[in-house]
Amino acid sequence: MKQLVSILILFISISGFAQNDALFKQATAAYNAGEYDKAIENYSEILENGQHSAALYFNLGNSHYKLNQIAPSIYYYEKALLLKNNDSEILNNLSYARNMTIDAIETLPENTITEFYNKLIGLFSFNQWGYLAIVFMCLFVLLYIAFYYFNYARRKRIALISSILALLISLISIVFGFMAFNDYKADQPAIVFADEVIVKSEPNKRSQEVFRLHEGTKLQVSEELNDWTKIQIADGQTGWLNSEQIKLLKDF
Amino acid sequence: MLRKVLLILTLLFFALSLQAQDEKAVSFEMKLSKKKLGINERLRVEFVMNQDGDHFTPPEFKGFKVLMGPLQSISQSWVNGVRSYSKTYSYTLAPTARGKFTIGQATIEIKGKTYKSLAKQVEVTVAVDKPNDQMTVYDVADESLYLVAEVSKSKPYLNEGLSVVYKLYVAPTINVSNYTPLDNPKYNNFWSQDIPVTTRNVKNGTFKGKPFRYVVLKRVVLYPQKSGTLEIEPLSLEVTVDVPTNKRDFFGRKLYSQTNKTVSAGRRTINVKPLPEEGKPASFSGAVGNFDFEVTTSKTSLNASESLQAKVEVSGKGNLKLFQLPEPSLPSSLEVYDPEFDEKVRTNLSGTTGKVSNSYTIVPEFRGKYPIPPIVFSYFNPKTEKYESLSSEEIIINVVDGPTNNAVGNLPSATNRQSVVGTGDQFNFIKLTPDLTTIGTNHFIGSRRFWLWLLLPLLLIPIAILVRKKREAIADDVSGNKIRRANRLARKYLSTAKKAMGDKDSFYVALEKGLHNYLKAKLKIETAEFSKDKIAVLLNEKEVEPTTKDGFIGLLKNCEQARYSPFSQVQMQQDYNKASEVISYLDKQL
Repeated sequence: MKQLVSILILFISISGFAQNDALFKQATAAYNAGEYDKAIENYSEILENGQHSAALYFNLGNSHYKLNQIAPSIYYYEKALLLKNNDSEILNNLSYARNMTIDAIETLPENTITEFYNKLIGLFSFNQWGYLAIVFMCLFVLLYIAFYYFNYARRKRIALISSILALLISLISIVFGFMAFNDYKADQPAIVFADEVIVKSEPNKRSQEVFRLHEGTKLQVSEELNDWTKIQIADGQTGWLNSEQIKLLKDF
Repeated sequence: MLRKVLLILTLLFFALSLQAQDEKAVSFEMKLSKKKLGINERLRVEFVMNQDGDHFTPPEFKGFKVLMGPLQSISQSWVNGVRSYSKTYSYTLAPTARGKFTIGQATIEIKGKTYKSLAKQVEVTVAVDKPNDQMTVYDVADESLYLVAEVSKSKPYLNEGLSVVYKLYVAPTINVSNYTPLDNPKYNNFWSQDIPVTTRNVKNGTFKGKPFRYVVLKRVVLYPQKSGTLEIEPLSLEVTVDVPTNKRDFFGRKLYSQTNKTVSAGRRTINVKPLPEEGKPASFSGAVGNFDFEVTTSKTSLNASESLQAKVEVSGKGNLKLFQLPEPSLPSSLEVYDPEFDEKVRTNLSGTTGKVSNSYTIVPEFRGKYPIPPIVFSYFNPKTEKYESLSSEEIIINVVDGPTNNAVGNLPSATNRQSVVGTGDQFNFIKLTPDLTTIGTNHFIGSRRFWLWLLLPLLLIPIAILVRKKREAIADDVSGNKIRRANRLARKYLSTAKKAMGDKDSFYVALEKGLHNYLKAKLKIETAEFSKDKIAVLLNEKEVEPTTKDGFIGLLKNCEQARYSPFSQVQMQQDYNKASEVISYLDKQL
């Protein structure tokens, strides 16, 4: 009986996934015909069915851009970038969408050390660092065994040195991988959805206005208290705003 | 001489006549101009005597105020040789209250005797319309010249326009020949706009129920800038007027006398109501009146680095010059220059009307769509006493051609002159392959799978060490090694013989074949056809120990003999053992 149920569930989910591909095709047709609302509807349905991809988010962003909806289009482009980093098409269209935003925020210049650190950590994704660590760990094991088995001193030396190198690289990869992972977890970007948001100095209505943000601006979320969220914008300014006015990018 | 006599005679005559007059009865009386008068009228009291007197004591004018007096006048005349003399003390009185008053006795001393006048009663009644006093020129001018400030609203809202018109009312009886303003009022706490009066037309109107002529002197539109009670300072004028007198000239025309008169429009207080706080929109910037609001752009589709004009315009009636136009919040990627302010405003008595506008010059740098979000303009309508908000439509500016803004990513620059794709990066079409995956996070790093994959290979090291140890231990064991070696060789070459153990013929055939096979494998020589001697020589050449060689040859002999003689099971086993032993020795030496 149990088996039957699980088979049934499997069957349903498979048929659901097949349905999603069909929805995607319909959405493409709708987009090409200029029915952007319908395309968005179809794409959203795929998301509700529990599937996503960079392409899906990119297309959603395009559809919203065509409807002049600034915040959703930027939101979905950024989401697509989270899944597919450095995709040139996404970056290109995102720059189009960003032209529509009102806020001009200067990004803080990075000092050389953090720049170097970010470049180094950013060489691979944290999962890639993980795979790298495993590969070099295996290499270390093999080389060490080889060292153990070799009879000649010269071969033994080469094997030992390279095995130690492999171990070091593996350990560094683990450290970098976890650093990248922690950075990823700490990075909580969000997009402003409200037309205009008043950012306050404290999480209550009485407090002073610090600055104002407009639709489509990207910001970093750090803390939350009741309905209020502490945010930081690219130039380093911080403040509190109402949580309903922004939408977190990493909600998957 | 004669002359002297004449003079004396005349003097005498004078003296006589004087004496004759002295003999007339002395009279001293009080004359009132009227017995009954209105409170706004004036009473003239005269004390007349026909002889010269001294020490005049006026009575107490109870219920009256002395306006003028005492005025002393003396008149003398001779008519037909009769001299008449009168001396008069006159007072002009103004009543202070209504009722009946008695003007008491006045005393005078004439020639050492004291005379008293009779007391008289006067009735003061309510004010009469036309005081039939003899009015002075000044009085007449006072009553026939008025400067009036007409204020259109006495309780305006803050920033609501009101007008003040100054009119000079002149009675038809008098003429104004000239006027000069003494003091121009300052309108503190007001924004004022003067409407110049170009032609001074005399118009007919009524003032206080009487026909008057009037002239508009000054018109001002005021916008109160502060709430509360505000004062408008008076306007003062010095007016030269011609007032008709009762006198007439030779031809019977009235004679006019000229006088100067200062008139001022009274101080006016205006109660300015503050704008209600309730329902005040956030976008309210002080506009009060009735307005229309519009945002327009000169074009909505253009190429990059071309310019367009965006115009924010407010038109209508109200304090157009006194509020700030709302600013559009434009996308930061547009280059926007400072706005050009333009106003076309006319001011008339009902306030300022017209339109004010800010036009922004916008130059887009990059290709794309740029929305101008709706702008909200709020104003207070004093007629409905409510705030009203107008919102413009969202305008999308489409920049068709130009470079793309690649500030976001490190895209290849499209501004390269040699670039084949001259139009730059297009807005990309949607992606066609879905590549759908299930939503959910499965981070590899830190997972149990990751740690297993990372650490399991490390287990290989102790395993390898163990294996090596075992092998070394095996290598160190010499005798056991020999046996194993022999066993192995035997297994290789003597396996058929071992199988045939017990069957004498086939066992020895197999054993012999096995031995030859061994030599064949070792020396690469087919020895099956060789004689035993030859094999012995061959082994000698290879420097095989004699005992081993003998053993080998012995075995071959045994194999031959066995075909013809009975061999026991025990012997077979012995030969087999010996064969494997010999092979193992041979193997070491070959």
